[in-house]
Amino acid sequence: MNEFPDFFPDLLEDPHNSLIDKALDNGKVPIGYTCSFVPEVLLTVDKLLPVRVFAPGVSGTEVADIYLSNVICSYTRSLLEFAMDGRYDFLKGWVFAASCDHLRRLYDNLNYLLKPEFIHILDVPHRLGKIPLSWYTEELKMFTRAMTSHFNVDYGEEALSDAINRHNEFVSLLESIGEFRKEKYPPISGSEFHTLMIASQAAPRNLLIDKINEFKLSLPEREKKSNYRARLLIVGGQLDDPNYIKVIESTGGLVVADHLCTGSIPGLTPIVIKDDPLTSIADHYLSRTSCPRMMEEFNARVESILKSASEYDVDGVVIEFVKFCDTWGIEAGMLVSAIKDAGIPVISLEREYRLTGEGQLKTRIQAFIESMGK
Amino acid sequence: MKEKINYYIIYCKYWILTWIKIIPFMIRHGLFDTIRDLRRYPWLLVMLKVNRLLGKFGKGRTLRYQKASSIIVSGIVSGVTEMLGNFFFNSDRMIIHEDMVPPEIFKAMGLVPFMAELNGIMLPMIEPHAMEDYIDMSESSGVPPDICSLPKGTMGMFLKKETPPALAIVASNLPCDAGMCSYALIEKQLKLPTFRLDIPYHFTDERALHYFTDELKRMINWLEEQTPGRMDWDRLREICEERNRMVEYELELWDLVRIRPAPLAGEAVWLTHLWFFNLFPGSKKSTNILKKVVEIGKQNLSEGIPAVKNEKYRALLWNPPLIHFIDLFNWAEKAYGVSLIMDSMSFNRLPFIDTASPDTMLEGLGRNIMYGPMARHTRGPAENYLNDIFYIHKHFDLDMLWVAGHIGCKNTQALNGMLREKCREAGLPLLIIDYDLSDPRIVPREGIIEQINHFMENIMKAERLDL
Repeated sequence: MNEFPDFFPDLLEDPHNSLIDKALDNGKVPIGYTCSFVPEVLLTVDKLLPVRVFAPGVSGTEVADIYLSNVICSYTRSLLEFAMDGRYDFLKGWVFAASCDHLRRLYDNLNYLLKPEFIHILDVPHRLGKIPLSWYTEELKMFTRAMTSHFNVDYGEEALSDAINRHNEFVSLLESIGEFRKEKYPPISGSEFHTLMIASQAAPRNLLIDKINEFKLSLPEREKKSNYRARLLIVGGQLDDPNYIKVIESTGGLVVADHLCTGSIPGLTPIVIKDDPLTSIADHYLSRTSCPRMMEEFNARVESILKSASEYDVDGVVIEFVKFCDTWGIEAGMLVSAIKDAGIPVISLEREYRLTGEGQLKTRIQAFIESMGK
Repeated sequence: MKEKINYYIIYCKYWILTWIKIIPFMIRHGLFDTIRDLRRYPWLLVMLKVNRLLGKFGKGRTLRYQKASSIIVSGIVSGVTEMLGNFFFNSDRMIIHEDMVPPEIFKAMGLVPFMAELNGIMLPMIEPHAMEDYIDMSESSGVPPDICSLPKGTMGMFLKKETPPALAIVASNLPCDAGMCSYALIEKQLKLPTFRLDIPYHFTDERALHYFTDELKRMINWLEEQTPGRMDWDRLREICEERNRMVEYELELWDLVRIRPAPLAGEAVWLTHLWFFNLFPGSKKSTNILKKVVEIGKQNLSEGIPAVKNEKYRALLWNPPLIHFIDLFNWAEKAYGVSLIMDSMSFNRLPFIDTASPDTMLEGLGRNIMYGPMARHTRGPAENYLNDIFYIHKHFDLDMLWVAGHIGCKNTQALNGMLREKCREAGLPLLIIDYDLSDPRIVPREGIIEQINHFMENIMKAERLDL
């Protein structure tokens, strides 16, 4: 079996996909969320269903621009446009994290324009440590109280431990597929792997797990990806369109690892239960993400990228970020110097949320690969 | 003719007074060193021309209004020479700090604060194009052009190595993502120990106050470890008490400008807060300047003299002032009789600090930081931003809202749609001026004037008074 199953990319064509429909039929309550700082594991308890919102195929943001202006990142504008078009009407609630200026203002505008029945924003500290952890744990307590009150869901210790176990099982399944990417000739491309990652955030995991297992079993039989010129690591924020990676790979690069908000490193780290489940969840989500909004962690992010570069034996690093993102905008320039200093070729690319300028992207990546002598 | 003579008398008086402050600094620094440092720090030449503001603010104003502005400029010149003195003579105690971290605690610890963003704010006021080289430096080093030009210019200054030697850096997550992230670059560039204060998003409850007071304590401990500075709580009490006296005068000033026509306006309101509360809070000199300004306002009031001859419209300015067109309101007063009565960078709600104990002082300072101008508008939900606007509209009896729509301020640009609709509901005429805070190449002075002309003619149906 060489073809990547259509089942997964089909799920990415619409936020309201076929598996969401099935889950709704089963009485699930879908809750939209926007950021990796939102503990999606808390949206898997009881009858809840987490849906990481995205705007596939968004063609323009004319209405959103009126409210958010056209200098806000196009991811947030696209979400507002979809919301105004009623594309998220199936959601029963929204959860935001006060993670960056753009998402905070999306929360404000969405709340003002659509007045959802349930909308909550989590106050995420900008640094790590005991006191910020205690703050964030308290935030999660308040959040679970609000959810219980509105949706009548059970957040008891048993329910939370169960949700953590299910989460860990699922991420270890994806991680085990990700391990194949370390091979010299992996049986899976970067865009295929990213499709699995996004599908697992856009569809109910319990309805995906059999298909993913089936795909995993087929991997040893798949044709290896040997026809590439360079192994690449991709770094950046929100990237939910695997076609972006597909374009990169069409030029001869093979994306073997990713440090993306929506990606696998450190996204597929299991939750370690140290204290009570809620504190463990808070600790996990506060320290796991690689977002530059964590203001004291630049060196840790660089170390993590360099470690992945070595583990996955990459030839070069591609940094990509959505135009107008302040945190990634400044971070990208600094990362370029840090990665170059470590002797690894690197390129930084600004992009729009929706896939545009494919020709330019191909040219840049081709030139990058050639500059590596590959 | 008499008016012109009076203008020149006041202008010359303060011109001489300000040079009396600048020249001793240059003598103390030494001729050779001054020349060397003018080459090493090209911005110094612009900063030494700070008394140019006398002309920008004073020209064509009524006598007492001009005098009030000149007193403020004279106070600024004192402040500039004091800071430059520290820059060159006290760098062994210097702390570089971000503009939203007020200096009271540093001063109480015997440290010398240098606000990193100061040049980005001050230089364009004196010379509108002064920050362009620094902005370009930042962009050519990989910072995207869409980032706010204030942190971009600040980063450029550090990249060009035109900043003082210092012991440490203190930053925060205020006021915006770009400002916060710029310190990662500054830290990397200077290789100095760096401390960052974390200000919560939900900052209005007791939980946030405890969290942030702990942050301030953590900062004090860290500074005591990293620098020779030691916390002197008695000194902090003196500073806070003096700051409270400044606030009393400021509140008096606000009461004066509520009256229509206002006996003072413009810089008397916004520049006193921007400069003295942000850079020299708790200093007797600052209190004296506020006191003098209030006295001038009272004199005008008792004699029924308005600050602006033809006060036809009273405006609220939102967002930081248009620093490369700093005499905008001097122009607008003459062109349309528009008085600037209040601005978002001055208006604040929790100004007093309880000096009963170290804890109450830290809580007071904590509240001031979290609820301070700009800080509370850029953190928390949109209501923090919008509610203040409509409160000020009523409280100060205003006729219009001018938003300095800095293209790099994404945080506030994303509220313009809501603001338009809310202003329509409230019947408050709104002008959003498209421009860039520090870079006049984006929209020059003429472009700003054109936008105002359109608004005044088409929305306010006003006629030019000066043509």
